[in-house]
Amino acid sequence: MFDANQSNSLVKNTTHKVVLPFYFYAALSFLLATILLFFSTNAFTQHYFHPQVLAITHIMALGWGTMIILGASHQLVPVLIEGKLYSNGLAYASFVLAAVGIPLLVYGFYFFNLGWPAQWGGILINAAIISYVVNLAISMIKSKHENVHAVFVFTAALWLLLTTVIGLLLLYNFTATIFPKDSLHYLPLHAHFGIIGWLLLLVMGVGSRLIPMFLISKYSNTKLLWTIYGLINGGLILLLLLFVFSNDTAFYFIPAIAVFLAIALFGYYCYSSYGQRIRKKVDEQMKVSLLSVSMMLLPLIFLFIIIGWLMAGKSNPQLVLTYGFIVFYGWITAIIFGMTFKTLPFIVWNRAYHLKAGVGKTPNPNNLFSSRVFNAMAVAYLAGFVLFIAGVLLSSTLVLQIATLFLLMTAVLYNWNVIKLLFHKSTML
Amino acid sequence: MTIITNNNLKCTIAQAALQNVLDPEIGLNVVDLGLIYQIDFDETNLKIYVAMTLTTQFCPMGESISNAVKRALENTFTDMEVQLEITFDPPWSHERISDEGQIFLNQ
Repeated sequence: MFDANQSNSLVKNTTHKVVLPFYFYAALSFLLATILLFFSTNAFTQHYFHPQVLAITHIMALGWGTMIILGASHQLVPVLIEGKLYSNGLAYASFVLAAVGIPLLVYGFYFFNLGWPAQWGGILINAAIISYVVNLAISMIKSKHENVHAVFVFTAALWLLLTTVIGLLLLYNFTATIFPKDSLHYLPLHAHFGIIGWLLLLVMGVGSRLIPMFLISKYSNTKLLWTIYGLINGGLILLLLLFVFSNDTAFYFIPAIAVFLAIALFGYYCYSSYGQRIRKKVDEQMKVSLLSVSMMLLPLIFLFIIIGWLMAGKSNPQLVLTYGFIVFYGWITAIIFGMTFKTLPFIVWNRAYHLKAGVGKTPNPNNLFSSRVFNAMAVAYLAGFVLFIAGVLLSSTLVLQIATLFLLMTAVLYNWNVIKLLFHKSTML
Repeated sequence: MTIITNNNLKCTIAQAALQNVLDPEIGLNVVDLGLIYQIDFDETNLKIYVAMTLTTQFCPMGESISNAVKRALENTFTDMEVQLEITFDPPWSHERISDEGQIFLNQ
């Protein structure tokens, strides 16, 4: 009656020893970025090409966003590719190279010393990403199961590599002539390959697998996911072509509309998964994750306004700063908050209780961290987020200082819960 | 939620033991969730054959849940060896959830 041949199809989890250092590093990076933000509020009333703004942006993009996504990605690769991670050694190499490279790069930006510290930082970060891409590619080849989620993740990793390679070249362009124009000119390309090609594509690839899984939803729509994939990658390629061959800013609306459509379709995918869920009760972490999906549209609204200003021949650095803040402290941070406390408790639970489950009563993964601290963090975050946007748009140092206090509180509470999880000792109920 | 068995009495004891094995994400036990398809008892060779499934083929907690099922049965039937098979044919569907499980999930 039952097909016994499928008995070996259990997912082979990546060891927690590979994954947890990424989470820890990311939590500390978020705290450090927020401390720097607290002491750099003046920088956010000036132009976005400012040493402190560049330093904070790179801690948020690499130390916070990329490190936690790399950690979660190493854990989720077996779930996504239906096989096992090829090499733990390459995963460790990826962590160590990035962990050393990111502070060097950030130091270089903060003190605007773009000589050897920043350049070596950039080289090490690129080496880390190459390790990750190679590990992912071989894992996929060995698994022989091709699916849309794995293709999303691998394509996102290639965009990340392109982003970091361009970033390194832009770094060298400060001290030598690599490109015909100055580095500031190429910043939009570097930023959007990273934000849309890496972060957005990866979040969609992983989210499209995890959101229905966590909601226990019957919904599935591979065709829709391929459409989203085409819109995002098509939009990015068009952006590159326009950047190289056209000077007319009006055309930039086309890739922006493609990405807008992709986000709208992904929102529909999540809504359908939610509508067809079997479990009615949705926990706070899932609510935050679903909220962050709708928050994807917020930066796009600002992007449309910025393109409109550019078409009118004007520039508004405050709008660009707000756009960057909404991406990194808004959408990315919100999705990380939700997914940290959805994935990390399971990794820790597996480490602490995998040999004890079935013998006696064990705590639920959700009980391994404080939900009160999580809720307080969410409130502080929302207050800080809204006030910071108001502070940038009004160029008010006082509002920015109050906002960063809330964000600092958020980072402390986040770290509190992450440390509580990481140092959890098993207890039977 | 029907479990195929060749020994109704022992299957009832096994089900009681498996009530303590929870899917950690959902918080519902594997019996009410309908993950257990079959429990057969081989009295001659002192073996228990279990066929079970998971809510999704890509469940990252699959290994942990199946090991917990094995341990719970070995602790209950101490003189028997458990042979466990994970199958996705037929795949799990929400129709397999018991009435008690449905009430739990609708809360």
